[in-house]
Amino acid sequence: MIELINSDARWVRRATFTISILLGAAIWEYAGHNANPLFMAPLIGSTQSPGVAARLVDFIGDSQFRAATLSSLKLFATGFVLALVVAVPFGIILARLTLLRVALESYILVLYVTPMVALIPFVLSILGFGFWPKVLVVFLFAFFPILYNTLEGARSVKPELLEVAGSFRASEWSMWQDILIPYTLPFALTGIRQATGRALVGMIAAEFFLSTSGLGEVIMVASRTPDMTNMLAAISLITILGVILMRGAQVLEQKFSAWRGVDG
Amino acid sequence: MNKQATHVAAAMMGTSRSSSAFPRPDVRVKIVAGVAILAAWQVGVAAFAPRFVAKPLGIAAAFPAVITDPAFQAAVASTLGAVLQGLSFAMLTGVIIGIAMGRVKVFDRLLNLYVNGLYAMPMVAVLPLLATWFGYESNARLATIVFAAFFSIVINVRDGARSVPPEYLEVCKAYRAKRRHVWFDITLHSSLPYLVAGFRLASGRALVGAVIAEFFVSLEGVGMYILTHARSFQHNEAVVGVLALAAFGLFFEWVMNWVMRRFLPWARRS
Repeated sequence: MIELINSDARWVRRATFTISILLGAAIWEYAGHNANPLFMAPLIGSTQSPGVAARLVDFIGDSQFRAATLSSLKLFATGFVLALVVAVPFGIILARLTLLRVALESYILVLYVTPMVALIPFVLSILGFGFWPKVLVVFLFAFFPILYNTLEGARSVKPELLEVAGSFRASEWSMWQDILIPYTLPFALTGIRQATGRALVGMIAAEFFLSTSGLGEVIMVASRTPDMTNMLAAISLITILGVILMRGAQVLEQKFSAWRGVDG
Repeated sequence: MNKQATHVAAAMMGTSRSSSAFPRPDVRVKIVAGVAILAAWQVGVAAFAPRFVAKPLGIAAAFPAVITDPAFQAAVASTLGAVLQGLSFAMLTGVIIGIAMGRVKVFDRLLNLYVNGLYAMPMVAVLPLLATWFGYESNARLATIVFAAFFSIVINVRDGARSVPPEYLEVCKAYRAKRRHVWFDITLHSSLPYLVAGFRLASGRALVGAVIAEFFVSLEGVGMYILTHARSFQHNEAVVGVLALAAFGLFFEWVMNWVMRRFLPWARRS
């Protein structure tokens, strides 16, 4: 029996997966029906009070909710792209200018391990409310993982390669194209994966603690009402968003991971 | 991961691999750069920003008073205590579940979806939910910390338990080793480096979780200290709180590197 449920046969794998989903849904449903409705909402629910799954479907048709999702995504994308556009070239420049790298790397490490949430009160009291302060929060969350990991890649560039290229009078552009970018890219992608997770945290945190907007506002409003169905539906949507983004970043990272340490 | 650990260790000792033969000019360059950054901050803020914005000299002036302030010490103790408590709980349960998932395929297939999904979920999003469930008090913070730390430990320990070299398991089988020996002496042992890696991730996330929970629930702690002082425009004092958090982050990082070097030197390079 134990042999059977642990076997690699396809039907066993599929059956276990299905059981896993059904079991999770059943536990959620049971908790939703039996707990205080102020604390928990069922997944399916009854016809009088539809549960989280039905609410998620309703959300798709709800223009207000669509606007909230889009505003969250816009915030995420703006902050993340800005961080990417600044951090990656900066990291590669640090690969090129060794002295600057040595000078700055300790400070970058310190900022990398500092919890960026701690800076939210400062952003709030200096820049106030609005879209751009929130972008700054997402930017801060995403920037240091990317920079730190790109720097990691910058360290892996062999100085000999740059010396040889220099003595053959390679142009600056071809040095970047053939040495610096290929060496640092896989590391930068690790940073991008880390930054995706952190920027999502930054997005929600900015929407909670600065001017409330987007999906963060949906959750906040639901927690005050309290409307558990709305809250759990919004959380589920954010989770789905997180899984998709993280998976995408992971795939991208794996695609280029073979470039890492070709000769080291 | 291990390579990264070495780099971090090197960076923290003020040297880097490529120029470790000449540590002294490195240190000098770093100090010069640090002074330049602080000077630029001081001058830039004094010239362009409102008066209350923190400046290095102001922070230095506020530093002794804040460090000796009993309220600040209580806040540090409260946050750090909660983080350590949450991390130990997450580690204890996370290791058991992680090893079970790594070694027994049914557990892996049953839990994989949930562990991966909850790991990818930004933990701030569940904060209102945890606050509703655990009340607006310190239990909510503890729950946030556990939630933030648990899944990164499970995922790393699971990967570690999966990557036990098959030769070891074959030898165990050939000598008819007892199951508990296979689990505790072989599997647990060879997944230790992964556990350290997971713990490193978890400690960072736990710190973030603690601070966010304090903001949200208005709980005594470093996060709240920063928030109240930033709100009342005492930014210099608030920055000392941020420095304390950065120091925790560096401290966890340093402990993990020390553990790797002292106890797991065999895991250096895979």
